[in-house]
This record gives sequence, C-alpha cells and structure tokens, in this order.
Amino acid sequence: MMNLSEHELREHYESVNEQLARYGVKFGIYKNGVFHEQLFPFDMIPRVIEHDEFKYLERGLKQRVKALNEFIKDIYSDRKIISDGVVAEEFIYSGSGYLVQCDGILPPENIYSHISGIDLVQGKNGSWYILEDNLRIPSGASYPMIARDLCRKSFPEAFEKNHIEDNRNYAELLRSTMDYVNTGGLTVILTPGRFNAAYFEHSYLAEQTGARLVTCEDLKVENDYLYFIDYSGKKEKVGAVYRRISDEYLDPVNFNRESLIGIPHIFDIYSKGNVALINAPGNGVADDKGIYYFVPAMIKYYLGEEPILNNAPTYLPYYEEDMEYVLENFDSLVLKDVAEAGGYGVVFGNKMTKHEKENFIAHLKSEPRRFIAQEVIDFLDIDIYENGNAVPRKADLRAFVLMADEPLVWKSGLTRFSRNPDSFIVNSSQGGGFKDTWVMAE
Amino acid sequence: MMAILSLENTSRLFWLGRYSERVYTTLRFFAEQFDAMIDGGKNFFDCTTKEDFAKKYCFDENNPNSIYFALIKAYDNAIELREEIGSDTFSYIQMAVYEMNKAKKSAAPLLQLQKVVDNIAAFWGMADDKIDDEQIRSIIKLGKRIERVDLYSRMGAMDSDIKREVARMNYRIAKKSLNFNSEHFEKLNELVKEENINRQALITEVESLIEFSSLMN
Repeated sequence: MMNLSEHELREHYESVNEQLARYGVKFGIYKNGVFHEQLFPFDMIPRVIEHDEFKYLERGLKQRVKALNEFIKDIYSDRKIISDGVVAEEFIYSGSGYLVQCDGILPPENIYSHISGIDLVQGKNGSWYILEDNLRIPSGASYPMIARDLCRKSFPEAFEKNHIEDNRNYAELLRSTMDYVNTGGLTVILTPGRFNAAYFEHSYLAEQTGARLVTCEDLKVENDYLYFIDYSGKKEKVGAVYRRISDEYLDPVNFNRESLIGIPHIFDIYSKGNVALINAPGNGVADDKGIYYFVPAMIKYYLGEEPILNNAPTYLPYYEEDMEYVLENFDSLVLKDVAEAGGYGVVFGNKMTKHEKENFIAHLKSEPRRFIAQEVIDFLDIDIYENGNAVPRKADLRAFVLMADEPLVWKSGLTRFSRNPDSFIVNSSQGGGFKDTWVMAE
Repeated sequence: MMAILSLENTSRLFWLGRYSERVYTTLRFFAEQFDAMIDGGKNFFDCTTKEDFAKKYCFDENNPNSIYFALIKAYDNAIELREEIGSDTFSYIQMAVYEMNKAKKSAAPLLQLQKVVDNIAAFWGMADDKIDDEQIRSIIKLGKRIERVDLYSRMGAMDSDIKREVARMNYRIAKKSLNFNSEHFEKLNELVKEENINRQALITEVESLIEFSSLMN
C-alpha cells in the first residue's frame, strides 16, 4: 500500500517518532513507586481496514454499544434482564463495577457510555472478535489523532494516492458528544493531574476540543450546581464533566472517603440532573470481564437482533459445565482475572509450570466467579518496522464509539502491537507500541 | 475576550515566564564565563575548571540554582498548560529539554546550549504569535520581565540595563493581566531613579510585586 523502500520507511519512522517526542506525546508509568514519562513508540506501517470491512465493524460496534447502554439503564432501574434469567445475578452484584448509589438515577439524555473503547482482534481466518468492552474511561484516541497529523506531514504522497478516511475529526465528534448532554454551562475535562498515566491525552483533548482542563481544586459544588472557580474567585457554572478519574475517586462524600482528587457532592448534583458526567458512574457493571460473556445475549434481549460481531469463545468457570471444560482443556485456554486490567492478570494455560498450574486451579475452584477462560485466538500478525526489517507482531484494535442521539464509530482507532515476538500483550504499560489505522474511504 | 483561568494556571503561566527567562539569561551568562575559563585563570562558583563549572552551574539537576533545574521547572509548568498555550508553543520547551540533555553529554556544550537558547526564543515568539488570549500572553511576559529585572539586579548588570528592563516591566505591569502591589511598584520605580541603584532593595521590591509569585516555584 505504501510502496516504500527500506530507506524511506526508516526515514519516515524516525521523522514521525521525532515529531511525537517534540510534542510530548507520552504516557506516564510508575516503576518502583517513581513516576516516569515514556514515549509511546510509533510504527510507520499502517494497519489498513478496507471500506466494506469497516462498514461491517461499524454496524457491529453500534449494535453492541446500544445494547450495553440499554443494559446499564436496565440494571440501575427495572433489572428485567435478571428477572428474565438472561444474566446471572451473581455477576452483577459481586463485581466491583456495580454501584448501588446509581440505582434509580437516569443520566442526561439517558446516555451512560458516551465514549466506549471496544477492543477487537482479527483472527488469522480474517474474522474479528471482541476482546473487551471499555465503558468507564477508555483512553488512547489522542495518539492516533496526533500521529495522523504527523504522518501526513512526513509522507503526504501516501495520503494523496490512497483514499483514507480523515480521522482528525475526533475532537469535533467528542465535543458534540459532550455538548449533547451538557446541562448548561462550561464543558470541562477533569484530570487527576500531571502524574496520571494518560495526562498527555487529557491535556491534548482539552486543547483540541476547547474544553477546560481542570483538577478538583478548580471545581466546587454549591447550591446544587457545579462551578469552575477562576483565579479571581469568580464562579462559572459547569454543565458537563468529561471526568478522567475513576468512579471510586470521583466524590469522596459518596464513594472513597480518602479520595483527594474528587469533588465532594458532585454525585449528588449529577443524580439531580444538574450536571452531566461523561461517562456515567456505574458503567463498570457492563464492562466487567465476567459480564462480557453475556453481551451477545444482551444484544438479542434488548435489540431483538443477532450479534454482528462475535465474542472470543469464552467460558465462565462459575458454571459447572464450563468449569469442567476449562479443567479438561486448561492448556489451550487463556485465563483472565476479572478484577485486573491493562494486560495484567492474564495467564496462558500452556505457559504454566506444573506447580503454578496446580496453584492456579486451586484458586480457580475457590473463587470461580473471579476468572473467565477464553480460547486463544491466533491473531492475524501485522508487520511492524524493526531494525531495518518488517517483522510480524500481534496487534489489537481499540475502536471508539461515541454516543449522542445515535452511536457513531470514529473512522480510525488505536492499533496497538506487542514488540515482543512471543507476546500477545499489546498494552503500552507493558512496552507495546501503536500504529496509524487507515480506514479506506472507498 | 479574557480567558477563564484557574488560580493554579495563572500562577503556572507566570512561573513559566519566569523560568524560561531564567534559562535564557543565565545561559548567556554561563556562555560568557565558560568562554573566559578556556584561557585559564578564572574561577566561578568555586570551580577551577570549565568542566566543573558546567557540571555545577549548568547541568546539576539536583541543584535548585542550576540552569537545568530552571528548565525543568519551566517544563513542569508548561506541560500543565497545553490547553492554554497550545501544543505548538509547548513543543519548544519540550525541545529545549531534549537539547539540554544532549548538551549535558557533549564535550562542547556551548554549541548544543545555543539550541536551548534558540528554542526558548522560539517559545516566546510562538507564544506571542499563536496564543490568542491577550491575558495569557501578558502573564507569561510579565513573569519574564519581572525575572529579568530580578536577575539583572543579582548578576551585576549595569544600572542603565536595569533601568531599561524596569521600563519594559512597567509597560507590562500597566497591562494589568495580574493584580500587583502598587506600593512596591512605586518604591521600585523610586529606586531606579537613584544614581547608584540599591540592588538588594530592588530585588526585595520586585519580588513583592505580584502577591502569589511565591507559589508554584
């Protein structure tokens, strides 16, 4: 597609990475308790998704996010999906994502997951599988946004010759999504601060959307409304908060009392409909790794449709039948701790020693609700440029679905890859890199 | 239209102006002294070699008086101001940090340090050109002007230079981007009318001009 010589490829690789460094495109990571900023390695060879293939993904993603929104609404109101026996109750209430405080609360415009990050992989047979739904604070859109801008500077011919969807509209789409639910007033992006892993993204999205980047110090709840306090003490009403801090730390009065990064009483005024929180608190109930198993059933239940996109074949050891299957096929499965994220808590049955396996199975039997097991999908390898050669590596795709009156899929996404040839783990915190994702316009 | 600025960001803008100026002016001073040491016989800051002088005065990241330290402080403020100043403007501070790190490893640091100076100058130019909001621009410039008067007073600049810099600072103060203490402002302007400027008194007055200037440094 790019038709580049090795020399050109190296030149573009270097120039784009140099520009990313120039703009401080980094993520934060704590090592031994010390904060470090790291560049996010960019690979010049794009992932290409053909027009029709993306149309198919788009349909599937919209369908999935619609159903997930319906599910959250149902769980915090009538819970019909439980009474109708589609989802087991245990998976709702025992998960850390369910917030009892959200019961009976309807967010502005009934939207819960305004920004959904859905992780997919493509198998070697070409089929796409959903790996994970991220409905709390999915991050990563800023990296392909800025990378595209730099790639166009570095290699204009590629964009001239190929009809690629322009992905530089993310800020505009995000702004519309935030404005759609704004209850009247400023739109702000709430960050825990400079030493958060995704701080670059917070500040870049604020710059690009024109929203104010704020910390808890800048906001105050007074007389049932939220205000931004400026340097002179003047107050300005806030109508929408794109919060980049987790539910637990959002409001020390209603959630974790020890939170120093939250805003006291923000949840109270949200529950009265006086401010929009993006994404809504309590969404974790729907993106738990255990709940993932039920999403195809949710789609049928709420939308009366067959799921367009498939889950990776998943087993819940919580069910006796599935536990038997998992124990019989242990070596061919990947096991995931539902309480972990970021590529942590993921183990492959065939990589364990005998002793590790025995310990793990004992743990699995004592806490079956805590784990899911999945067939190992043989990902389609994608070439990356490394030391003068194109080498195949595992990669996933985080698609971003924005929800206003209707769900909208950003015609791009974050393609992350593993730099380790033997690894399936693509997370940036574990050394992965990212690529531009070309969605073809025709 | 005035920006809606938080107290923290107002303070960060002010200190970004101050630290960027500190890097710029102290680097020029460093280059002159470093050059003088090439011929031998000159000691600065108890340093007998130019290498030791570079290490202590310029590159010691743990020394709050080093140029490196001032640059990191400028960066620490700038990185939290991306949405106020824009990525393009921010990028020059980021590049100054990269160049400073290269200079630290170089046997001929002055050449590389010139790139730090270039990036600081480009940062100011970019701030002037790309930041639409006058108040934001003005706070950065006010920090820069106050820092220059302070540094010139401490570093033995000629009275005529100090008077010129005070006049430039007064112009910026008159823009009223930040509240200032008029009593200290008047005293400061009295001091520079004297034939021999009392440097210590001038430093005290200039440091008292902006009340929150002790924050975030």
